[in-house]
Amino acid sequence: MKKLFSYAMDIGEQMLISGAEVHRVEESVTRICNALGAVRVDVFIITSSMVVTVHTNDGEIYTQTRRIMSSGIDIEKLHGLNQLSREICEKNLSAEEIETKLNAAINCKKYPIWWEFVCYAVIAGAFTLFFGGTAIETLISLLVGFAVRCSISVFNRLITNKIFSKFISTAVATFLALIAVKFGWIPNVDKIIIGNIMTLIPGIGLINALRDLFTGDSIAGLLRTIEAVLTALAIAAGYFVIAVLGEFIL
Amino acid sequence: MTLTEIIQIISGFVGSIGFAILFNIRGKRLVVTGIGGFASWFIFVILSWYIPSEPIIYFIVACGISIYAEVMARVVKAPTTTFIISSLIPLVPGGSLYYTMANAFEGNLKVFLQRGVYTLELAAALALGIIVSTAVAKIIYGTINKRQKP
Repeated sequence: MKKLFSYAMDIGEQMLISGAEVHRVEESVTRICNALGAVRVDVFIITSSMVVTVHTNDGEIYTQTRRIMSSGIDIEKLHGLNQLSREICEKNLSAEEIETKLNAAINCKKYPIWWEFVCYAVIAGAFTLFFGGTAIETLISLLVGFAVRCSISVFNRLITNKIFSKFISTAVATFLALIAVKFGWIPNVDKIIIGNIMTLIPGIGLINALRDLFTGDSIAGLLRTIEAVLTALAIAAGYFVIAVLGEFIL
Repeated sequence: MTLTEIIQIISGFVGSIGFAILFNIRGKRLVVTGIGGFASWFIFVILSWYIPSEPIIYFIVACGISIYAEVMARVVKAPTTTFIISSLIPLVPGGSLYYTMANAFEGNLKVFLQRGVYTLELAAALALGIIVSTAVAKIIYGTINKRQKP
């Protein structure tokens, strides 16, 4: 039971890392523990930590906590984990089976890393066009989007703070846009920055935050709201700093 | 439909596909997301001919897309948020946020406040639409589930 309980924690942890909603993870962990033979399950999960206690039918009590450091969005992995937790609830899987399936879900298919560079460029270009940019602005925005993704790769090794990394990304985008204006390729920086902000904006974080808040996970919801607000401020700060410096230098 | 609107629909669609790939959405779930991203701005454009207020259109589109996401989440077995987030990307008020920032930078306090409040209005309309339809979906699925296992 002790070992099986660890698998339930692993599944919950991986779900949180791949961006699942809190109440969904709580539900899955409870169901898995019940299916594995727990009499009583107490779960408390927020986006950065999980605490679970199970009472087994032979009177033992186990508690485990996990600290969740990173979180992104990986839908394919989430899908695999959901599938696995459904299987555990329906069939009697052995410990080995659970382990192999868990590893398979964690190492699911991913797009190659260079796709991310392409996506950043394409998203930035598409939204420059979307907000009324011209063809030349779209082209420059594509290149700036690519450069922003490169800067994320470079700075990720130095800075682990997500909010500060958004600050740097916006600063890079603003700086490149100002240079393009300086060379006279585009009339103003507006459309380029709008396109690139779309890849950085905490829209997703905010939507998730509100969904958490209104499904009753107040703490998780508040944490996410604050993160979204801080990210928006970091983006504004990145733009401000370079715009002010740009007026002096360029 | 003007050329600008057609360009917007297509570029919004491309943008949501881009985000879907960043979130590692694959196969038929990618198709579902793409349709959502296309539909969200398409509906927006159609509604904007009849309704003058942008926040109200945002609310209606968010409701519509969330219902679509709730249904598709059951059909292709994926979390609802997947489809909501990437399909509603064209509606995220990035432009509005930028102009808020730019006006703060130039010191136009009045325009900054106007823009800022407007950005918040759009975001609130979007969130409200999602929350309302999520709540409705919960109630509906709750009653269906109860009937199935008495």
